[in-house]
Formats: sequence, structure tokens, C-alpha cells
Amino acid sequence: MRISYKIQDRFDFGLFIPALLLIVMGLIAIYSSTYNHPTASGNFERQVVWVFVSLIAFFIIYFLPGQTFKYFAIPSYIVTLFFLVVVLVVGNKVYGARSWLAYGPIGFQPSEIAKIGTIFVLAYWLSERKDDINNIKDIGVALAIGFLPIMLILLEPDMGTAIVFSVITLTMIFWSGISLFALFVVLSPGIVIFASIFGTWSFIVALIFVLGALAFFKRDLFTSASIFVMNIAAGFFFDFGFSLLKPHQQKRIEAFIDPSADPLGSGYNALQAKVAIGSGGFLGKGFMEGNQTQLRFIPEQWTDFIYCVIGEEFGFVGSVLVLLLFFFLFYRLVKIASSSKSKFNGLIIIGVLATLFIHFAINVGMNVGVAPVIGLPLPFVSYGGSSLLVNTVMLAIVANIYRNRKTHA
Amino acid sequence: MSENQFGSPTRERILIFILMGFFAVLVLNLFNMQIIQYYNYEEKSTENSVRQAVQNAPRGIFYDRDYNVLVSNKPSFTLQITPAFYDKQNTELIEKVLGVGEGYIDNILNSTRIYSIYMPRKIMRDVDFKFIAWLEENSEKLPGVEYIVELQRDYSSGIKGAHFLGYIKEISSEQYQREKEIYDLGDYVGFNGLEKSYESMLRGKKGIKYTLVDSKQKVISKYKDGLEDKVPIKGNDLVLSIDSDAQRIAEKAFKGKRGALVAIEPSTGEIIAFVSAPEYDLSDFTMVTSQDAWGKLNRDPDKPLFNRATMSIYSPGSTYKMITAIAGLEKGVITTNTHYTCSGGIYYGDRPFRCLHVHGRVNVVEAIEKSCNVFFYSIIQNVGLDNWSNYSHLFGFGDKTGIDIGEEIAGVVPSTQYYNRVYGKNGWTSGYLLSLTIGQGELSVTPLQLAKYVALIANNGHSAVPHFVKGIVYSDTHQYEAVIPKKINIDVSQSSFDIVREGMYKVVNGEGSARNIKMPNLKIAGKTGTAQNPFGEDHAFFVGFAPFDNPQIAVAVVVENAGFGSTHAAPIARDVMVSFINKNKQGDSKNVAALVN
Repeated sequence: MRISYKIQDRFDFGLFIPALLLIVMGLIAIYSSTYNHPTASGNFERQVVWVFVSLIAFFIIYFLPGQTFKYFAIPSYIVTLFFLVVVLVVGNKVYGARSWLAYGPIGFQPSEIAKIGTIFVLAYWLSERKDDINNIKDIGVALAIGFLPIMLILLEPDMGTAIVFSVITLTMIFWSGISLFALFVVLSPGIVIFASIFGTWSFIVALIFVLGALAFFKRDLFTSASIFVMNIAAGFFFDFGFSLLKPHQQKRIEAFIDPSADPLGSGYNALQAKVAIGSGGFLGKGFMEGNQTQLRFIPEQWTDFIYCVIGEEFGFVGSVLVLLLFFFLFYRLVKIASSSKSKFNGLIIIGVLATLFIHFAINVGMNVGVAPVIGLPLPFVSYGGSSLLVNTVMLAIVANIYRNRKTHA
Repeated sequence: MSENQFGSPTRERILIFILMGFFAVLVLNLFNMQIIQYYNYEEKSTENSVRQAVQNAPRGIFYDRDYNVLVSNKPSFTLQITPAFYDKQNTELIEKVLGVGEGYIDNILNSTRIYSIYMPRKIMRDVDFKFIAWLEENSEKLPGVEYIVELQRDYSSGIKGAHFLGYIKEISSEQYQREKEIYDLGDYVGFNGLEKSYESMLRGKKGIKYTLVDSKQKVISKYKDGLEDKVPIKGNDLVLSIDSDAQRIAEKAFKGKRGALVAIEPSTGEIIAFVSAPEYDLSDFTMVTSQDAWGKLNRDPDKPLFNRATMSIYSPGSTYKMITAIAGLEKGVITTNTHYTCSGGIYYGDRPFRCLHVHGRVNVVEAIEKSCNVFFYSIIQNVGLDNWSNYSHLFGFGDKTGIDIGEEIAGVVPSTQYYNRVYGKNGWTSGYLLSLTIGQGELSVTPLQLAKYVALIANNGHSAVPHFVKGIVYSDTHQYEAVIPKKINIDVSQSSFDIVREGMYKVVNGEGSARNIKMPNLKIAGKTGTAQNPFGEDHAFFVGFAPFDNPQIAVAVVVENAGFGSTHAAPIARDVMVSFINKNKQGDSKNVAALVN
């Protein structure tokens, strides 16, 4: 079995097989939810074409020589920023956000490509540090690299994608060895903001936790006080930021807090998604038998709400199978990252992990009702060509790193 | 701090811990929803599904000028099939009970294939009550088959008026594709006449009723006690200027004849009566067999669907002589002292042009009274073709009137330019003018144009664009709002009108051709015409107005292939005028705005 050993040494089936199975489950769910649909009935065929395009892209990138990505790091970031600015000027509006660049029939979202560019440059910057990165300058630059695209994306405005970039940046900084205290300083305003979504009381509770943590870290009074003030400011800043959001985004956040308040409006999808999944039971209603899906209670179910098609028609078994495949994929990514001898390569893998994970967490979370309805697709499963292609390309980059892991330490 | 290292095992463990934490939260949530609360959600899924049912708005009603109903709505049963729930094995049985041919249902289902299978298809309208009773009894065995109560046009007023009311028809798929936001498949839309030109006023606004249905689409209850429902808003009502009595008399007079009648109130341009004969019955189109009715009307050699009053062109004959008279008077070619001697005809070159009688010495008034062709032959060369043509256009010939039903044609009024175009510069002679001046030759006019022309003569050149809609009763405010038509004022001197009208008065009350319609207590003025027709008997014409001193109604009548205008057309005009004027005298005419509120 020499040959088979050799293949496994160069090609990680633990990455490839779960992703492939997820794509297949996505195709099944897309077929079911669009079969009888008057306008979306061609989506299944379109997605099949995109699967083949993505697979071809996967193998092209897989066979690229090692070190390629290092040369591409800074140029790809600059190109990324360029497109993010261009889209603000000449982009097309999709669901209220100016996020889509199109020329004739060809179009893409610059923010999709920006993920890869940002991961490359962050990995480059963080891996070039000789010492640990626990100084204000290094963390500051890393944060700036991440926040530049975030600000541009917020201008579109696309809150979901901005969250994705925040998570990518923070996870990669975390992997680089930021101290727990520094991480706390960076992270706590985010937690306070999240708490303030739910109202004044949860905002106050979050501030008490911040006080507790400050006591635990035992820093000097001046530092502790500044951090505390910063947190309060973040809460108020959110209130201001919330007022800047588009009405449909505000409604989505409000609907997340109380979906039953407006059952025919923003909360409608969240409520119907839960009904779809819950009514699936242990084994599900069967392929193309889900009445929530087939009667189209959830609009455009083949995109952001694809998970509840699986939940309704394949039940607990099918839903957990999808979770297991994702878990296995993420676990493999963590393992490959920590076994990587190159800091740069390891950070890229962590960036990919963060991207896929936050999409997965928010999407499945909103389907089962533990996260707000933020329009993020489920990687590999949701209908949509550019998302599938970018996710496959990111996996291909990891596969390439795996292939070259011994030659390019 | 050994922990603060790049990719340390602790950091790896933290990541895996977060992953497992999320995984656990999601699995627990799924377990809670799909296993523990399964029955709860299952119940919600099967029972609490909100369905929207579109509620059609009743179409606006047509009233006559006295606010009597002309066209209203009545309920009828419509059979529907929803393909998603329908069992095709029942097709044969349903077709048998309906009494339609094999393949009837399949045809409809196939032709609407591109739409959602959850959208009900209308299979048949105005279904017999016996069928509905059978359906109710067997509804358990007939999934996806249901009936709805729809409103249908009610034409029971006794007035036909098909050519101006127009009919409504199921929306074509082309129009549906264009106006999806407004209409649903199977909706009825105005297809011609006022139903079409006032479609946006008449159709109203649809309502939505939300109901809770189970997975088999069975209605369980109202949604939120109907609080979210949108009530349909009825279309706006149209108050027409039609006088039902005059219209009824006109329709009756035309029974078995071909032709047209248009009666106008001279001062306002309001149309009092409007007939194109043969008529057809609008109620035929609402029946189950509407396709058959349609085909039969379409094949009829008398072309009942054709609107003769606005679409058919005729040579107006002697009724047109007033144009030459007015042009001559206005241009100073003649005065009342200008006389010509009629010896029964004249020669133009070597071609004879005849008169009906030997009239002797006549002036313009007598020429109109006795319809002397020789007088008009004699003056037309001095009037000139282009003057004659300009005055024709001034009275509205050769141009569309702008009437508020879409279909009409302009007719032809020859001019120098026209003849040069048709025959070439030297290809015609001024002899052609002799035919034109007596309303023959290439001149062609519609009955509507004739009525407008008489109205202008009757009211000294002041009138308005002929129209049917007097006002609109808005269903949201219940307020009546008058429709203001475009005014017409033409530049012709009072004396010319007086002279011409005197001639027309004598046609009926002197020694003219319409003595037969002289009334003891009503002064009628008019002019007959008998136009030669290459395809058979002459067409009979009459134009007139009454009362002479204070005109309230102007009428144009054409009876095809009937013979003399005096015997066949004039009496019809008289009856319509008498009916309308008598009613006005009795003070029966009411103020519509007062009636509405």
C-alpha cells in the first residue's frame, strides 16, 4: 500500500471529503426547495455547474508551487482594497447594500475576494514578528489591517461581512500569541456592544463583568479605569451606530430579540425556520415532503435558510450529520494549522478556519434561532456560485499548504 | 508567560474548546426543537400556516344621466382547481357533470403550467347551481376542486348600448405579463368601449384575506381575527350622459336595420343616445358559452361587433350641403340675395349633373330647404376646394373627434393637396368639386362626426368634444365629480348660422324634404340626405336639432340601404328628440350630484 500512503501524505482527505459531502447535501436541499418554484427552478442546474467550476479551481490552486501565497500577500491586499473602494462608487445594490460589482453577465462581491487578501496580509504581518506580539504597535497594525476593509464594507453597508472580517482578524491575532489581558482589552468592547443590543439591563450586567475581569487582571488603576471608560463609550457608540444602520438591518436585530413581536415581518423568517426544523422530528419528513419548504413559507430558502430544508426533510439525523461534517472539517483545520512549521502558513489556515466557522456559526445559529438573522450563507451548502467558489479556493489554499508542508517549512 | 506563544498547544485547545462548545449548543438546540418540542412544532407546521386569499374588488357601476343603473354587478359561481392538490383521475367525472367535452380541464391546466401549482386555476365561470350542490356533496372526494363566488356584469337594465359600454374579457397572458402587480390570472379587464377606456377607474383595488390553513390547505380559521385583512375597494362609478328613454327608443327603432344614430346635447357635447345596428347582447359574453357567442357574432355578415357610429365611413349626401353654404357665406361668395335658377341640372364640360326637381330661382335658404343641387354646383367653383376643405375641418370632418371610447376613425375630406397626392398634379379637374358639394365623391364621414357638426350648427359654433362620461362617483369619498370636456368654439359669424338654420327649419316646416316629421308643438330643424351606394339600395340620412329656438338635442341618423332619408331616417331622429325634450319639459331631469349625496 505504498502508493495509497503517498497520496494521503500529499492530499488531506479529511479536508476534502467533508467539504464534498456538504456540497452534495447542499445540492439535495437546493433541488428540493427549488423544484416546484416558478422562478428559481433552474438554480439546481446552475449550482451543479458552479460545483464543477469550483472543483477545477481547487485542483489548479492545489498544484501551485509552495511559497506562492507569500508573494501574493501584499499585492492581493492592495487589489482587495481597490475593489472595495470601486464597489462603493459603481457597485450595484443587492438587498440594500452596495456590494456587487458587475460587468455584463459577470459579477462578484469584492468582499468575498477581500477575505483572502486580508488573511494573506495579516498572516504576513503577524508571522514576520520576531518577538511575541504583545506590544501596542504590533497589535495596532494588525488591527488596522483588519479594520480597513471592515470600514469599507460597513460603508456598503454589509454588517454580516463586517462581522466576518472582525472574527478573522481577532482569531489570527489570538493565534499569534496575544496575552489574555490584551485579548480582553480588544474583545471586551465587542461583548459590551453585543449585550447592549438587548437593552440597558444587559448592558449594565456586561459592564459589571468587565469590572470583575479588571479586578482579576490586577492592573494599575489608570489602565483599568481607561479600559472601563472605553467599554462604556463602546456601548454608547453602538447606540449611535445602530441609528446609522439601514431600517431593514435594524428590524432584523430587533426581530432577533423578539421574533414573535412581528410574525409577518422580519421575525417571520426566523419563526418559520424554527417551525420547519422543529417539525422535522428525528428522521425528518422525507426528501421533497417538507410542507414548510414545499409551501414556501420561507422566501429564498435555498440561500440563507437552506439549513432548515435539511432540518425539515431529514430531521435530527440529517441536521446533526451536517454539524458533524463541519466539526470534522474545522478540527482538521486546527490540527493542520498547529502542525504547520511555518508561522505564515499556520496563520493562513487559522484565517480560513475563522472565515468558515463564523459563516457556519451565524448561519446555523440563525436557522435554529440562537443568532440574529444576518444574511450569511452556509459554506458549501447554500446556493450561490461566488460563495462556493471562494470557500473552495480557501480550502484549496490549505490543501496546497498541506501538500508542500515538508518542502517549505 | 509561556502561554503567550505563537500557536501554543493551549491556544489550540481553546479553539477546539470553542468549536466543541458551539457544536454542543447547536446539537442541544436541535435536540430540544426536533425531539423534545417536536409535537409543538409539528402542530404549528401543520396547522398554523397563513394563507393569503385575494379578494376581487367589485367593478364600478355605470349610471345614466338620471342616475339610473345601466350596468351593475351580480354574483355568480366560478369553479376552480388548484393543481397541487388536484387528483387527475377525477377529470373525467367533473367534465361529465359540467357537461363539457373531453380534454376541457386538461387544456386549461396545461395552458397555465408555467405558474405555481399552488395557484388556483379558474376552470369555468357562471357555473350552474346544480353543479355547485353536487360539488359540495362530494367535496371530500374531490381534493383541489372548489368554487368561489365572483361578481359578474349585470346587463338587465333593458339598454343594450354594447358599442359604447364595451365588454370585459379574461385578461390575455401578454397583458398579465405586463401588469402583474395589478392583475391576477383570470381577472376580467375592459376590452373595448368605456369598459376599456375607463379601466383604471372601474377596476377598484383588490383586498387580501388571511386565513390559517393546514398542510392540506384546508382553512382552519381567520388569521388574527381578520385584523390584518385588507378590504377590497370597489371601483369608481361612472355617470354617463346617456338618456335611457331616448336610448331605448333609438335601439328599438333600429331593430332589424343596419346603421347608426348619435344624439348630442349641443351646448355640452354630452352624448344622449348612441346606437350602432345591428346590436349585440353584452350578456352573451358572460355566459358559459361565451366562446360560441363570440364566434357567431364574428361570422355574422352584418358585422354586429363593428361600431358603425365611429368606425364606419359614409358619403353624407345632402346633409353636407350646409358646409358649402357656410363656406360661401363666410367667404363672401354669396349672400341671401344671391340667386341661381335651377332648370333640373347643369353641364360641367360635357358631363351632366342632375337635380332632383326643377326648382326655378332659389337663394341659399331655399336651396337648403329644397335641397337644390344646382345652387350648390353653381357656387362651389367660386368657393374653391380648399375653402370648402377648411370649413369641413373646422366642423370636425376629416379628424377624430376625441370621443372617450377608444375606437374611431377620421374619415376623408379631400383638398388640393389630397387630390395631387392621389391623382398627380394634373390628374384631376375641378369637376370633382361638384360631387363633393352635395356630399358625394371621395368625401367620407362617420355618423359621430355628423352629429357633432349638427350640434355646432345648432349652438352657433359652441360645443365640446363628444363624450359619454358626465362624471365619476369616487367610491372612497362617495363624492360626485364632473368630468370637464374640452370646449370647442369655431369662428363662424352669427349671420351664417342663422341663414343655414333657417334653411334647415324650412326643411321640416316649409316645403322641404322632411315635412313628414313636422310636429304641431315642437319646432324641429334638419336636413335629409340620400347617398348613392354602389353596393345596393341608397343609404338614408337625417341630421337635425330641436327645439329650433333653444336647441337641446342634435341628432345624426344613418340607415343603410333603406332608401330616402326623409322616410327612413328622419322619423327615428324625431322620436328620439321628442322623447328627450318632453322629459326635459316635465322637469324630470335631475341634478346628479344631488342624487349621489
